[in-house]
Amino acid sequence: MKKGLLAVLMVALVPIQTTVLEHVSIGGIRPDLCLIVVCLVGVMFGEVHGMFLGLALGFVQDIFSAGELWLNMVAKGMIGFLAGFVSRHLANATPGAMLTLILALSFLSGLVFLVVERAGAGLLDALLGVRLLVLPQAAFDAAVGTGVYWLVAGRTRRADVLSGRRISLR
Amino acid sequence: MLRSASGTKRVKFLLLALLLTLAVVLPKQGRQLLQEIGAPIADLLSFPIQAFAALDRSISETWAGYIALRQVHEENRRLRGEIQLLRGRQNELRELAYASQRLATLLQLKERTIPSTVAANVVGLDTTNWYRGVVLDKGQRDGVRAEMGVITVAGAVGRVVKASQFASVVLLVTDPNNAVTGLIQRTRDEGIVEGTLGGRARMKYIPLLSTVQVGDAVVTSGLTGGFPKGIRIGTIASIQKEEGDLFQSAELIPEVDFSQLEEVLVITGVRPIEEVDTGPAIGETS
Repeated sequence: MKKGLLAVLMVALVPIQTTVLEHVSIGGIRPDLCLIVVCLVGVMFGEVHGMFLGLALGFVQDIFSAGELWLNMVAKGMIGFLAGFVSRHLANATPGAMLTLILALSFLSGLVFLVVERAGAGLLDALLGVRLLVLPQAAFDAAVGTGVYWLVAGRTRRADVLSGRRISLR
Repeated sequence: MLRSASGTKRVKFLLLALLLTLAVVLPKQGRQLLQEIGAPIADLLSFPIQAFAALDRSISETWAGYIALRQVHEENRRLRGEIQLLRGRQNELRELAYASQRLATLLQLKERTIPSTVAANVVGLDTTNWYRGVVLDKGQRDGVRAEMGVITVAGAVGRVVKASQFASVVLLVTDPNNAVTGLIQRTRDEGIVEGTLGGRARMKYIPLLSTVQVGDAVVTSGLTGGFPKGIRIGTIASIQKEEGDLFQSAELIPEVDFSQLEEVLVITGVRPIEEVDTGPAIGETS
């Protein structure tokens, strides 16, 4: 079932991201569903699952993106790992904590893109990139991710996460 | 002996680190490997993308067509299309007029090229917000390859950066990573057109002595691959000329309305005009 869910995520998430999500964009910014799912999987199932799902989803994202073929893969893999790693040290996975975590991770992912994609640009362009893309993207991801977490994670799962017990995918 | 969980985890990490190191140390080989791995995945996923796009389009059309003032919307869309078509024709005529003024009779038609094109539908946007790109429902099977130019009747849209069997990704002219050589139609000065973070385009390296004005049309120069000469890119909205600079630059308003992109033409080849008489090949339009 859980492996089936992973397969569904792999097949459906990127098509949804590329087709339907433009209807919920604000100021041209769409939430990054893959990043949100990778964060949540990292938090709920641990850093290894987060990282591998991140690598896989990032790679699929790269296939349908104009950027380099490794950028999303590496960024999402790193985000999945960090989400799991940080959540291990979270005392309480409250919505506030999730909001902060996804905000920070999305911001970090944005900075990776900024460094790679705008390496030759000046400081002003970089700051403009932070203001126009990185910050709005992080805020949007954090808001949507926290909402999804609250909806998806049941009381039992939250209790599991809080008590430090990881949910196994096997 | 059974391997412990932490041992398995360590092996996985080591493998991953090795892969990533290979990708960084051997970027060319790594990219090729990733491309080979990604090709069947792209083929597989192009079907759900097209299905989602079709579903999305039909829902949008139903909503817009039947609920939100159907007739007005339809008429509006038709008129927009007509305006874009007429703009394209007007631009073509203007370009012809300029050419006829400048060139001798023999050069008039020989220099003009007609591209062979493949029509494609826009089925999605780039998967990240970092690139202004669109996904098309045509790929290598239809003759689409990387670096080919993409246009609408209004003007230049962008260039293909990735192509799988059934889909391709196009980087729009408004993306900062895209660069096309442009030509100011009135003054015949050349420059490089790049996208900006704000979603417009900027023409750089315009000669200092150029008499460029706000409102001048910028077209493709035909020097970079993918586009023939004379495809409209945009209209100059403002000019920046600072003391001490060696060149001028100008901000452009793109000719194509990228928020309304539905159908585009991929330029699969630029042929001299006298070769076109035999008619287009199967599956192509011209």
